[in-house]
Amino acid sequence: MNAIVVLLIGGVAIALGYGWYAKTINRSVIQPDDKKATPAKMYMDGVDFTPANRNVLFGYQFKSIAALGPITGPIVAVQWGWLPALLWIILGTFFIGWVQDYSSIMLGVREEGQTFGALSYRFISPRARSILLTFIYFYLLLIMAAFGKIVGYDLMTNPAVPLGVLLVIGVGLLAGQMTYKWKMDIILVSVLTVVLAFVGIWLSTLTPVKGFFNNVINGAIVTTAADGTSTTTYATVFGSVTQPQFIWSLVVLVICYFGAVLPIWRWAQPINYVAFWIVFLGILAGTIGLLVWHPAFPTDFPAFTNWGGNLCAAADCSKVDPKLLPNLLALGPLWPILFVTIACGAISGWHSLVSSSGTARQLEKESDGLYVGGGAMFLEMFLAVLSLLTAVVGVGVTKGFVGYVNMIAQAKNAGVFAVGLSEMMAKIGIPTSFGLPYGSVFLTLMGLTIMYLVVRFMRVASAEFMGDRVPLFKNTTFGTIIALLLSALLIYTGFWARIWVLFGAANQLMASFIFMFVTTVAALLMTAYNVFKQVLTTPNLPIDKVIGNWLAGLIAIYLVIAALILAWDAFKAFQRLRVGEPVKA
Amino acid sequence: MPEEEGRKRGMLDGFKSVLYGMAGHDMARYALKTRGSMEHLFILITIGDLLGIPILPPYYSLRLLPYVVPQISTWKRRMLREKDLTDALA
Repeated sequence: MNAIVVLLIGGVAIALGYGWYAKTINRSVIQPDDKKATPAKMYMDGVDFTPANRNVLFGYQFKSIAALGPITGPIVAVQWGWLPALLWIILGTFFIGWVQDYSSIMLGVREEGQTFGALSYRFISPRARSILLTFIYFYLLLIMAAFGKIVGYDLMTNPAVPLGVLLVIGVGLLAGQMTYKWKMDIILVSVLTVVLAFVGIWLSTLTPVKGFFNNVINGAIVTTAADGTSTTTYATVFGSVTQPQFIWSLVVLVICYFGAVLPIWRWAQPINYVAFWIVFLGILAGTIGLLVWHPAFPTDFPAFTNWGGNLCAAADCSKVDPKLLPNLLALGPLWPILFVTIACGAISGWHSLVSSSGTARQLEKESDGLYVGGGAMFLEMFLAVLSLLTAVVGVGVTKGFVGYVNMIAQAKNAGVFAVGLSEMMAKIGIPTSFGLPYGSVFLTLMGLTIMYLVVRFMRVASAEFMGDRVPLFKNTTFGTIIALLLSALLIYTGFWARIWVLFGAANQLMASFIFMFVTTVAALLMTAYNVFKQVLTTPNLPIDKVIGNWLAGLIAIYLVIAALILAWDAFKAFQRLRVGEPVKA
Repeated sequence: MPEEEGRKRGMLDGFKSVLYGMAGHDMARYALKTRGSMEHLFILITIGDLLGIPILPPYYSLRLLPYVVPQISTWKRRMLREKDLTDALA
């Protein structure tokens, strides 16, 4: 198999899925009518409800739905082999993904631009709305934990990354100052700040900089023996620690604090703007590099490993540190775990939230909906396929399947993407000494730019839930700190692979069709069983692991209960509407 | 030939719009939201005069009144619309 063939398969899926299947469904089921006034026109308020050009909206929708999910999910899912991951990405998008995004937009359009909270209140029950909102809070907490851990590991394992990320943030702040305070031309600001950001990433690759971060923050590995047991510690500037990546996760949470409390134009928006160009140019260079390279799949990279997802049964794990082996065995069986590991990129509930509350209110005419919602989802599928290829050919060709397994064992999921992207970019003349940290900065920024918006939303949500009973929650700083403390607790104590599965399952539950509902409830129950089993059967489990497992298990159980109540309420509402009053058109 | 050029130009414009949608549309929306909040304050200052409430109208609010009138229709929609927590995601 050649990488180009995979891209072609993706292209054919898009041509068939969007060009034929989606259009057929659209004509026969949704039946868009341009004579109907959309909420953007009917309720135009100059702010939320404003008609936008379909191309602009397509770009906006794509940027809103594509974050770390379509990149990290496929890389992790390669543990079952590249074929199941590829099939799920393509078939998931083809049959479910675009339908979900598009129908969310059209539901919003046909129901006066109401958000999911209001729609669930109206169509299902008041209880459904409350459950949905608490559900979203936990979902966001899981995003924070999953992304916070990836970003922490990314910053720790590659000392050429931290300065690059910090400088991009600094350049972003400068972009905000130049645009909003100095009123400079946006083109000039863009060129200047993007060039400065690239210089910053290059500076971070210099040996003294790498040495500084390696020695002072990350520390050297020290193994000490006590009572016959060995403990791996890291001598950092903060003393001897066992989880140095947590130091970086804390740094990231501090960055999130500023992103959540400062005015959006001062922090989040300009940094996201500069980060967008870093990410966009990276995807462009990676795609061109892959086309130029067009490598064949490495023969030792299996199309399918095994149903259980046991990497050590598919590759030689004898050289892997025994302490790291749980990382290779944590995910579990292909069904149901694969289907929640790749969430964005195939089907994602997050999309329905942004589609209904953001995009639906800007749609100029109904016939634009498929292009915007369906088209953006198919493009995200392409991004997920590209990400899959960074693992299979980017890492596979240079390091082999064993190299991939070793990186996963060391929790270098972000590293897999960075190595893969740098190999692709090397084919168009970008040296890997720059491409590698660039890929890592790219991935870190993708996580970071979402994280502080998530904290911002968590703060608003806690003020809404608790503000009347405990007025302190209305305080911006207090609400933000609570959100960050909860995130820090889960980042420190949680086990990444399981957090990722919980995050994916929560995501999929919001998008639950029958198959996905059964699958995600099964995934949640399986993860809850595994984490509780670990606590109850492992003797002398460290206290942080006990807390982390209990926390993850309880969140999983809550999500299952909430999902079952929602399903029951939805069933009753469906029956009520079927026999009683008709649903409003 | 001009048809082909027009098509090329259309494609280029389309690409530029998509790029703008990814990079800048969010910024423009936030700018509009900020302006919307400012307008709320602005209208609040002048609402008494607007409704004809017989309070002593301050000189400055009378000066501001003509600028407020064009904003009233969209302001009304924003103020009266039922909002939900999930609005914050938009």
